[in-house]
This record gives sequence, C-alpha cells and structure tokens, in this order.
Amino acid sequence: MKRPFNPRPALLLPLVLALACDRGRGRDDPDEVAEVCDAASSPPRQLRLLTRREYNRTVEDLFSGGSGAACDDDADCDIATESCSGGACLADPCTLHTFVFDPQGASYGRVHVAGTFNGWPATEAAGGWPMEYIAALGLWVTKRALDEGQHQYKFVVDESTWVHDTANGVIVDDGYGGYNSVLNLECGDAESPAAAFPSETRPKGYGYDNHAASAIVSSTHVEMYLRAAEALSERVLRDPSAVLPCDPDTIGEEACLTALIEGFGRRAWRRPLTDAQVERLLTRALAEDSFDDGVALVVQALLTSPYFLYRSELGEGGAGGAYVLTDHEIAAALSYTLWGTTPDEVLLDAADAGELRTAEQREAAARRLLADPRARAHLQDFAVMWLEIESNETASKASWVEDDFPALREDMEAEVRAFFEHVVFDGAGTVDSLLTSRTTFVDADLAELYGLTGVTGQSLQEVTLPDGQRGGVLGLGAVLSATSHSDSSSPILRGLFVRERLLCQPLGTPPADVPAIPEIDEDATTRERFEQHTSDPVCASCHQYIDPVGFGFEAYDAVGRYREEEGGKPVDASGDMVDVETMGAGTHAPFSTLGELGGILAESDAAQTCFTRNVWRFTMGVEEETGDLCAIEALTAQSGDVQDLLIQLVTSPEFVQREQR
Amino acid sequence: MSSPFVKRLHALRRQGVQRVRGLSRRELLRGAAASALAIPAFGLLRPEARAASGLAERIIFFYFPDGVPGPSQDGEASLWHASGSETSFTLGEALKGLEPWKDRCLFFNGLSLGSTDSGSHPGGAKKLLTATDYGNNESIDQHLSRSVGSDAWWRHLTLGVMAKADNASGDKLISYVSAGNPLAPEDNPSTAFSLLFGDGGGSSTDGGGDEPDATALRRASVLDANLEDLAELRLQFDGSERAKLDLHIEAVREVEGRVLGTSGGGGGGGTASCEVPALSDSFTTDELYDPARFPDLLKTQIDLMVLSMACGLTRVGTLQCSHHTSELLMSRFPDTEMYDPSYDMRSHQASHYGSKHDWSKREFKAFVQQRQYWVDQFVYLLERLEAMPEGDGTMLDNSLVVLCTEVCDGNTHLHDNMPFVVAGGGGGAINNGRLLQYGYERHGKLFVSLARAMGEDLWSFGDSASGDLYGVLR
Repeated sequence: MKRPFNPRPALLLPLVLALACDRGRGRDDPDEVAEVCDAASSPPRQLRLLTRREYNRTVEDLFSGGSGAACDDDADCDIATESCSGGACLADPCTLHTFVFDPQGASYGRVHVAGTFNGWPATEAAGGWPMEYIAALGLWVTKRALDEGQHQYKFVVDESTWVHDTANGVIVDDGYGGYNSVLNLECGDAESPAAAFPSETRPKGYGYDNHAASAIVSSTHVEMYLRAAEALSERVLRDPSAVLPCDPDTIGEEACLTALIEGFGRRAWRRPLTDAQVERLLTRALAEDSFDDGVALVVQALLTSPYFLYRSELGEGGAGGAYVLTDHEIAAALSYTLWGTTPDEVLLDAADAGELRTAEQREAAARRLLADPRARAHLQDFAVMWLEIESNETASKASWVEDDFPALREDMEAEVRAFFEHVVFDGAGTVDSLLTSRTTFVDADLAELYGLTGVTGQSLQEVTLPDGQRGGVLGLGAVLSATSHSDSSSPILRGLFVRERLLCQPLGTPPADVPAIPEIDEDATTRERFEQHTSDPVCASCHQYIDPVGFGFEAYDAVGRYREEEGGKPVDASGDMVDVETMGAGTHAPFSTLGELGGILAESDAAQTCFTRNVWRFTMGVEEETGDLCAIEALTAQSGDVQDLLIQLVTSPEFVQREQR
Repeated sequence: MSSPFVKRLHALRRQGVQRVRGLSRRELLRGAAASALAIPAFGLLRPEARAASGLAERIIFFYFPDGVPGPSQDGEASLWHASGSETSFTLGEALKGLEPWKDRCLFFNGLSLGSTDSGSHPGGAKKLLTATDYGNNESIDQHLSRSVGSDAWWRHLTLGVMAKADNASGDKLISYVSAGNPLAPEDNPSTAFSLLFGDGGGSSTDGGGDEPDATALRRASVLDANLEDLAELRLQFDGSERAKLDLHIEAVREVEGRVLGTSGGGGGGGTASCEVPALSDSFTTDELYDPARFPDLLKTQIDLMVLSMACGLTRVGTLQCSHHTSELLMSRFPDTEMYDPSYDMRSHQASHYGSKHDWSKREFKAFVQQRQYWVDQFVYLLERLEAMPEGDGTMLDNSLVVLCTEVCDGNTHLHDNMPFVVAGGGGGAINNGRLLQYGYERHGKLFVSLARAMGEDLWSFGDSASGDLYGVLR
C-alpha cells in the first residue's frame, strides 16, 4: 500500500480523522475491517534505533564479562564470573560472588564457607554456606549474593579444618596464627551507559519510546555514542576475557584481532559480518599503534556503527514489493520484542541455521524467551509506557496533598511493575485481569495510601484489595497520580486516559475560546467545578465522552488516596462509561466504583482491541495503520491472554513481512 | 586494502604523534582525561570575528509556553502588544520589562501563524518555528544551523528548562530536525556543559589544538568507519530511511570536524569574551524538575548559551522553557511576585484566566505576573549578551534574539497577532527600535528576514511565506 504523504496525525486510523467529537468513531466497523483485510499491508522496512533502555540492556549483555559461549550448565562457563543463562554464558552481577575452593586433588566429604556475612558458623547446620563439588572442574563452588563493602571469610573442610582462600591474595591475620581472606566488593558507578543520551521523541498518542520514524541521530547522539563506546572499550582493556577470544602472543595479533572482529562483531551486530566488513575493520585495527589500541578501535567502531545502533528490519526478497526479514533480523526482532535486548547465543545459532523461519520455530523460541527473567523485566517496561505513568517522574504534588511524592512515586512504579508481571506471568494472564484483578503489591506507605492495614516495611507485599473499591490498572496509585494535577484530581485527564489509552479512541484538541478553567472554590467539589463542561454545548460535544467517565474516579485524590469527601462535602463518584465501543453510539454503562468500570472495559471489544494495538505498536515501532487493522482484529479474536497474544504476534506473517514505503 | 583515510591517518601520525608512542593505552586515556580538565584553547578556533560584515553573528530563539494576555475574548485590548507609531510607541503591561531595551528591539503587530492543522497549543507549537502545518518542515533554527551555522564547532545548541517534564514529546517540542521530527532539548545544564566544554570524554575536548593527538586520531578513525558503514547501509534504502541515514551522516561529519579540528570556526565571537568556562550552578537529578529550582536552572542555561556563543562554539541556539499546556508550578518560584506556597498556580491553568482581563481574578493576575517573569528572563539574556564585549561593541550588537510562544492570547488560543519580539542589532542588519505594524503577514517572512540578516540568501520559508518581512532589515 502506498500511503499519500501525511506527516503523522495522531493515529492514522480510518475512523479518527473527524475532528468533531460527535462523529461516530472508536471501534472498527466490521464492514470497514473486511475492506481493510482486502488492503492489508505489512509494516514498513525500517531501521530501528536502539532506545536508551535497549542500549543499556544490550551493552549489559554484551559486556557484562560474559563470554556468551553456548552452555548447558554453569560448569561450561567461566564459573568464577559467569553463569549459564538461556544457553549462553552471561556474567554474574557484581554482587553475586563465586567462592571457589581448590582441593588440589584431595577428596573431601563437604566444604562450606564461613565469614562475617553469615557469622562464622562451624557447620552447615549452623548456617554455613555449603559448596558444591563440580567433578568436571575438580573444584568446590558456591555463588552467593553479598552486600557491597568488605567481607572476611574462610573455607571449612569437613566441618573441622579452617583454611583461607589461597586464590585470594588479600588476607589479614585471623588472630589464631592463620589468615582470613578479605573480599572488597565494590560495584562502582551504577549509572547506565545511555543515561546522558538524548531522550527519545514520539508522536502524540503513540506512547512508547521506540517510534522508529522519530529516531533521528543528532551530533549529540554521535558524541554520546562515542563516549559510551570509549568507556566500554576501557572496560574491555581492563578485562579482555569478556570479548577477546584469544591470546595474541599465542596465535598472533592479526589472527586475534580477526577473531575479535568476527566473534564480538557477530554478537554486537546480531549477525555475522561480511568478509569486506571484517577486512575494513582489520585494516583500521592494524593501523593503530599497539594491539591494545587495535582492540579499542574494533570495540568502538563496532559499537558506534549503524549496524549496531539500528536494528535492521530491512528484509530481503522484494519481489512484488514484499520483503521478508532475514534469519538474523528475525532473531533480533524476537529478542527485542520479548526481552528488550540483544539475541543470546541460542537465538544467533538458530538464525545461523535458518531455524526461525516457520511459525512453529518462532513459537518454540518465543516460549523459551518468555520463560526467561529478561522477558519479565522488559514487559514491565511496556506496562510503564502503556499506562503513561512516566510523567510522575517529573511531577510535583502540593504539600497539602502529599509531602513525600518523590518517595511515593517510586513505590507506585514498583507496584505497576509487580502488578503487571504478576498478572501476565503468575496470575490469570489475561487482559481482563489487567483491568479487574484485585491482587496487587504494596509496601507500608502504599498500604497507608490505599487504606489497607497489616502491611509493614519497605518491600512490596502481595495483597488482595477489598471488593467494591479499586481494582485493575484503573486503581493503581501511579495511574491516578499521573492523571491528576499537583493539587487536584483531573476528571478530564482520567476520562482521556480511559478513552485514549485503554479504548484507543483519541479526541481532537480543544477549540479556541475555551472558557476559564474553573478556579478552585473551597465550597465546590472538583466534580461540581467541571460539570459546566457538559452543560456548555460547545464543550459538551467532546466532553460528553470524557467527563462522565472521569467523574467516576472522584473517590481518589491527586495521588490516588481514597476519599469520601472533598472540602467537607461528600464526593459523588458515580460515573457513566458512555459509548464504550463507539463514540456517538449513544450507549450508557453507569458504574459506581473503579472495579465496576474495569469490568465494563474488560467486557468491551474496544478495550481488548486497544490492548492489541498497543502491543502492536510496541512490537513494530510504528503507529498501527488502516492496513494493520485486519491483523490486529485477528490477533485480538484469537486470545485474551497476554503471553498468547505475544506468541500469536511473533508467529504471524506480519511479524516477518515488510514492505517498502 | 588501505582506504584514503587510513593513509591520511598514517601521514598525521608521522607528522605529529610520535611523541605518544611508548605510552600504554591506559596512560594515554588517563592523559586525555587529565588534559581535558584544562581549558581548551578556544582562541585558536576563532581567528577573527565577522563583526564588521554588517551581518548577524548568531541567533537565539527564546520560547516560553502558553501565550500572553492578548486581546481578551470580550474584546479588551492586548496587555502585551505595543501601541503607537513606528518610532513612538508604548509597550503593553506584560512587556514593560523591555522598556529600557526598546531601542534595541523590534516589536510586531499583525504577524500571524496562519491557520494551523489542529489549532490551539499543539497546532501552534508545531508551526511556531517550522512555519508549516503538522511541523512538516525543519524549523528555522535547524535550517540556519545547516546554512549559516554549518561551519561552527556546533551547528546548534538546543537547551531546555523542564522542557521534557510530564514525559513531553511529539507536539510539545518546537525545534524540528526534519519534517515531522522534533528534537528533544537538553534539560540538564551539566550534560550540556560537559558536551560543550569537555569532561574527559567526547570529541570537544580536543578542540583547538594544532595537531590532533592519538585519541583524536582514533576517534577520527572510528567516525570514518561509521561513515563507511553508513554509506553502505544507505544504498539499501530509499525514501524515509535513506533520509534518516543522511541526517546520521551529517551528524557524524559534524563530530568529525570537531575531532580533527577542521570545523571552520565560524561561530563568531571575539576571543576576549570567552572566559574560563564554568557552570554557574549545579543541580541534582531531582532538582532538574523541581519548580522551586526553575529560576536557577533557567539562569544557568542562559549563562551556558551565552558562554558557548562567547567562546564561538555555535551560532544558533534555542532555549525552550517548559512546554505548551504547561503544568509548571510557577507559584513555587522563590523570590518572585508569583510565589505562593499556599496555592498551586500552573502556567496553563493561569492562561485560562477567563473571558476578560479581570485583575480581581487570581488566574489573571498570576498570568500577567508569569508573562512578566518570562520577559524579565529574556531581559536577563539580553543583559548577559550586552555585558560581553565583541569587536567595537557587545555581543548583543551582533546577535538576533527572538522571543516567542505558541499562541497569542492564552485563553483564546488564536494564532494571529503573534507575540514575537526580536532584540539585538544583528551586526547592523536590523532596523531596530521600532514597532512594525501589519494588517496581516505570515511569520515565515520574519524568518526570511532573520536568515538574510545572517547572510543567507533565503527567499521563502514555510508553507505560504515568500519574501522578507518589510521593515525588519535596514
């Protein structure tokens, strides 16, 4: 489909072009969808610049010191620094320390670790950390999470002989004529490599950080990419084993640089380099003054290359305008869709072998990826953007509403992440339950905000919310705060949230001659102040679809605290989900709690389709268009389960087909 | 295979970098980091200013959100626009802060954005600097950065103050890199400062040296490799993706110029005004979006803009304060008339002050005070430029400084009679000290005049403006 040039109206959907709000639009008319299926299109061939989020995760995976070698278990990896995860050796986080005891060939029954961190226990029963004997290595090993700072420890052999760690040169007198081994655990600056990169831009209403067409590289980006790559190459020179597969003294500098370019290059560019590309880089590396300089150049050039910075969705073929993603493009599409980071060794190997082309092969890969913790972290990011709660990060609240909002908003975001992860991975799994689940996660501060008792401490605990109050995403403190002003709730922002984010029914911008926003009148409730919208006919043409929905949130203040009165007057929190499927249809669905509203939305086709549209955007990096609606409707009809939806999406033809626009 | 670049690299090495041989990579990096803390020799960038040319050296766009108290819905006269004759006129109440600078400014009545795609704030913001509906054009600041600003060390400097608050994007930004693609300004003065003046990384730290050092040479080789990859990748696309890669190539070339010291140094500015760079204030991450810190942040960004121009690093600057329909709590600005800890007053809230100019209404009073604050900050920018000697006069004499917002009256959202002000002598190109009154002229013509004042032979800009704006140029 060739589009006429039309620079991104908010959403290029057939029914949203009307500016007047009383024109019917919203849910897709079945006849219209049928027409659309005749004109179904594929997503555009495009380059997708790594977002800051993706860049951070990607370099973390590339440089965490992990060799990336294929593995079945930890023993296949450098066990002191890596673990086997997803079939590849990944570096352990700084705080995960591996204790290794070398028995020098002797045979023992048991060995444990004792130290300042566990109270020097003489036996395993007393709390000693048992070590495991790995026959393949001839070593005793245990991996343990430790706090940053200084620790002292010893190994205890057969619960009788205390010895220090001879592999660790840092020792102190133990006061008994022997030594304690000393571990200084410093994880250093945790600032992410992309922290200072320019922020992503996107069209209004798109919602996600990965809008491909908006991602333009400025000279500031180039400067920042250079800096980040230089810092990463310094890391490599400090610990070459992370990426350098060879010893130049053994196999020669040129051979070792070639191995680096081919090996690390394949991981960084998510595909094997062409011979010409290897040759180009090698020439540059050899022009450097030393081997180390050559290594630095290779790392920097690979990580500032467009082949690293952009994920290619170029495809190949092109007969009749239809392109199909290459094997390696599919691997990257799978990993960035489900993990938000670079493909692991298993995926790259599958791409090398051409084993991601069929729906069945992609389904198997997707199921493996979804079972990995990286999927959970990534889909939490989706939730934060889907619900548009990022605005809380820069928001201020009035002191008389909440005087510690900076702390509270962190709890709120953590709740959103835990809630979404729970529903999708550990709970019912459905879009319905995202809208209605009364299971959420709060710490003491959020519990107090929500009026729950029995929760103490600063870590999140699973709770069941009382029936008849909040529930689902609508009741999340983060959502209620983000849809409020500093000092007051906003029925408008909340109504728009339902309309635009949950139902994908965008409204136009307010006309000229908007009357004054009503002043806060201490004698009037927020609802009373805003009710004139629906009484003024000019305003009512749009606000009839916004305000009756937003009024139903009035039992929650500017940070989502439950309230029964405002300024001494009782709060009227009755709402009406007007025209849930199509604006202008004239349907009414009254509700009195957010739980009820969640139920109304969960039963609507519009909310189900809208969720699919959001997943589509997040996956494809483009706004869904007319030609995509056929596929979106089909995906929505197949499943109400979020993981299933992702699997259906990555196994659909649209996931791998592209067209030139 | 040895590319011309690699040959050049070897030649450069032979000439100038033998002295670094024998140093280890790490020593080299440490050395680079340490030397970067010293002030680069900016004087070497700027052999001479262009002041005597009769053209403007530089241009700064200063944006504030949510309009002004223009003509009210009930028909009262604007409290912003000037009235009187071309040379004898009175400024509106909200503009009174510019009274001492009247002779250095141009004021306008009758400049219009024309109709906008979606009206209101978003339609205005998209069209404000692009002069085109949907923001379907590069903005004038970006245009100038590619024409008269292209030989500068940095083609442009786009700073913000809480411009990215509320997760703002899309139609809330005003500077457009290309059609439909706005650019996010840098809200953090420390980040901008370290980019411009170096902190041990980045290419700018090498600026000004006679000969590139080893670090710079490697950066150049890396950038050259990027360009080879970009050229190769570019061949696989046409249309929008090729355009995207062309912008990427343009960006790499700009950085390459800084690395090798081959930028023309056309940023203007006398070397005498480039003092030891230092950031005038520092901010924690939380403070970057704390409204109580807004005034300090804005002053710091203004200082940084002026400093970078005094040092000749760029010719084109944009400063975006907040964004339209702003939630900015201006009632929390300390030491201002607006300050009120007991009541939250936001910019956009105040802008909907009602149908008339009613001083008894809290919103209206706050709105006028807020707009006076923006004018005062614009004046601070003028003062800073005036304080910097340049050639026979001051930096302000050779500058163009444009004050702008996305609607006229904040309550009616109309786009006619837009409240632009242009300050500065433009190197003698500008016929200032006047009130220019038009029946109806499109603001794109003003941009044509400004481009011509900077020496670009521009004929039209935006979707329906051709020719310059009568009366602006001397």
